[in-house]
Amino acid sequence: MAVTVEQVKEINPLVPIKAKVIKIVQETPDVKTFHITTIDDKKPFDPLPGQLGMLSLPAIGEAMFSVTNKGENHIEMAIKSVGQLTEALHEIEEGQEVGIRGPYGNGFPLDYFKGKDILFIGGGIGLAPVRSLIMECVRNRENYGKLSVVYGARSKADLCFKEDLFENWPKVPNMDLYVTIDREEEGWDGHVGFVPAYVEELAFQPQVTVLCGPPVMIKFTLPALQKMGFADQDIITTLEMRMKCGIGKCGRCNIGSCYVCLDGPVFTMEQLKELPPEY
Amino acid sequence: MMKIIAKERLPEVLQLLAKDYNVLVPAKFEGVSRFTPYSADVELALEENVLMPPKDIFFPQTEKMYKFKAKDKSLEIEELPVEKEEQLIFGIRSCDLKSLECLDQVFLTKGYVDHFYKDKRDRTALIALSCLQPQEACFCGSMGVDPQNGVGADIQAYDLKDKIGFKAISAKGQEILEKISGLLAEEEVTIPTFGEFNLKADIEGVPEKLQGMFDHPLWADICRKCLNCGACTYVCPTCHCFDIDSEVRGEDGVKIRCWDTCMFGEYTQMAGGHNPRPTKKERVRNRFMHKLRYFPERYKMLLCTGCGRCVVKCPVNLDITAIIKKIKEAE
Ligand SMILES: Cc1cc2nc3c(=O)[nH]c(=O)nc-3n(C[C@H](O)[C@H](O)[C@H](O)COP(=O)(O)OP(=O)(O)OC[C@H]3O[C@@H](n4cnc5c(N)ncnc54)[C@H](O)[C@@H]3O)c2cc1C
Ligand code: SF4
Ligand code: SF4
Ligand code: FES
Repeated sequence: MAVTVEQVKEINPLVPIKAKVIKIVQETPDVKTFHITTIDDKKPFDPLPGQLGMLSLPAIGEAMFSVTNKGENHIEMAIKSVGQLTEALHEIEEGQEVGIRGPYGNGFPLDYFKGKDILFIGGGIGLAPVRSLIMECVRNRENYGKLSVVYGARSKADLCFKEDLFENWPKVPNMDLYVTIDREEEGWDGHVGFVPAYVEELAFQPQVTVLCGPPVMIKFTLPALQKMGFADQDIITTLEMRMKCGIGKCGRCNIGSCYVCLDGPVFTMEQLKELPPEY
Repeated sequence: MMKIIAKERLPEVLQLLAKDYNVLVPAKFEGVSRFTPYSADVELALEENVLMPPKDIFFPQTEKMYKFKAKDKSLEIEELPVEKEEQLIFGIRSCDLKSLECLDQVFLTKGYVDHFYKDKRDRTALIALSCLQPQEACFCGSMGVDPQNGVGADIQAYDLKDKIGFKAISAKGQEILEKISGLLAEEEVTIPTFGEFNLKADIEGVPEKLQGMFDHPLWADICRKCLNCGACTYVCPTCHCFDIDSEVRGEDGVKIRCWDTCMFGEYTQMAGGHNPRPTKKERVRNRFMHKLRYFPERYKMLLCTGCGRCVVKCPVNLDITAIIKKIKEAE
């Protein structure tokens, strides 16, 4: 049974429900997307774009991941192999049962985006949270203005969501894609260069932007966006801190008086400026 | 008029209550005072507050959350049976009652209820005990706590030197008082005046002032002595950070949560080696900022009750009242 946010609050929010992985897509050498349903083939929960879920192989660990997309009966998480749990997840096969709890976090402010032109900027696995919003815009295309996506990775092999980038999204009306890789590479005739420089070069005029990627990408892209005239409340990003509970209790993920798991992970630049500079 | 009993007859009251409740009393055990299940042979410690705060009654140091069984591709998750036993704490002090207010904020508000905490909170009655005299490091009076009148208790008990007086506060307290009324006499009493605090803190304006002090040089100064041992967070009645882990034996496992401390380096360690709080300066700053500014900002109350435990237990004498003073005096 798919549970709503309200129902999740009724049940013990720290105890996961049993779910299963029904499909695994190898995105890059170290990123796989997992399609997850409940045992009776329903969505484990119904997340808003940008919301999070705690996924577990209970004997090994539990970690927070963005829900990168949802379908009629499943949710998707794109997971990079970096440590104990994520390596173990990369070993599992379709049919594996897992624990899941959520949805957590605030998600993207959909109403704020309605009718606006949106610039999406992603680097590496950072496209995962951004993709949940892109998919929402694609599904409800008429609710949003022009969509532009700038996405970069180290190499062609490191680009996540290739099926979306090269097959699905190019067909979406009024949507432009700008994909770049860090260095020249055989068999790549697309753009070469880092994301911040590419963004600057493209000189966009849209109304709001969502960006997510490694700290260096964010650091160098921000000045470019500011130069293009984006206001702080129109620059939206997601943060990562270590998380344990996901519900604002364990104290792990605070930045100042805010808990990223509850009050985030989505923040505007305006909000971030109110927070302490280095946690 | 107040219901009273001679102090040496208090065990009779506890004995009677123990018929209906798991009664927890302040007692010394192997040199450490803590709340302990009452039995005739416990060594009651009523002279001063217990060293170990009552938080572990509601939020145990390690707590089982659920069981699981993982075999090949299959997984079973099973919630643990909830305890039904009604508990009663006798002798909780005003400062520690205040800490329960803090923990209630954390575990019961902001959209999510922590079921493990709530369950224990709901089945625990509280008999507060007034203080006659502050200990060396007590400074609750500076933190808005009245050591002779706790907030949130079911019954307020008064230390009348050779007697103990009881006043019901809640309906539940009234019920409890009726159970023991056969043992109590009725008497006109005067509550002894409270002693003088040795330690004081002037907290006025500190949360607001800290707003602009994130990068202040005083943190480097304050943290110099700190060993990052975590003793302060361990004995603190309000520190509530926890970690989640599992114990696995073969196919079977239990998820547990256990107290954690922001004083340890790995607390915020992230992938790729980045740690937003790499040195003790950031960690010490986070602890005091959390208590004196972040928590007030989020929950409209301080995360320090003035119980003084951290002052007593810190191996290098980091004293929160001295830190409050430094903050007050900082340029
Ligand atoms: C809000 C949020 C959204 C996230 N979304 C995604 C996502 O969509 N896809 C994805 O692949 N990852 C995502 N992550 C990161 C993911 O949670 C970590 O990669 C994961 O916890 C690592 O677990 P592990 O057991 O494999 O690593 P461990 O063996 O526990 O640790 C490996 C390394 O990762 C560090 N680490 C542990 N937890 C975190 C964490 N939460 N954040 C950063 N570093 C951590 C450890 O300190 C260590 O250096 C997200 C994290 C947060 C907080
Ligand atoms: S910070 Fe120290 S004085 Fe304040 S509540 Fe915690 S242990 Fe008591
Ligand atoms: S801090 Fe106050 S209430 Fe707590 S033990 Fe000391 S005097 Fe009593
Ligand atoms: S993860 Fe526990 S408070 Fe945010």
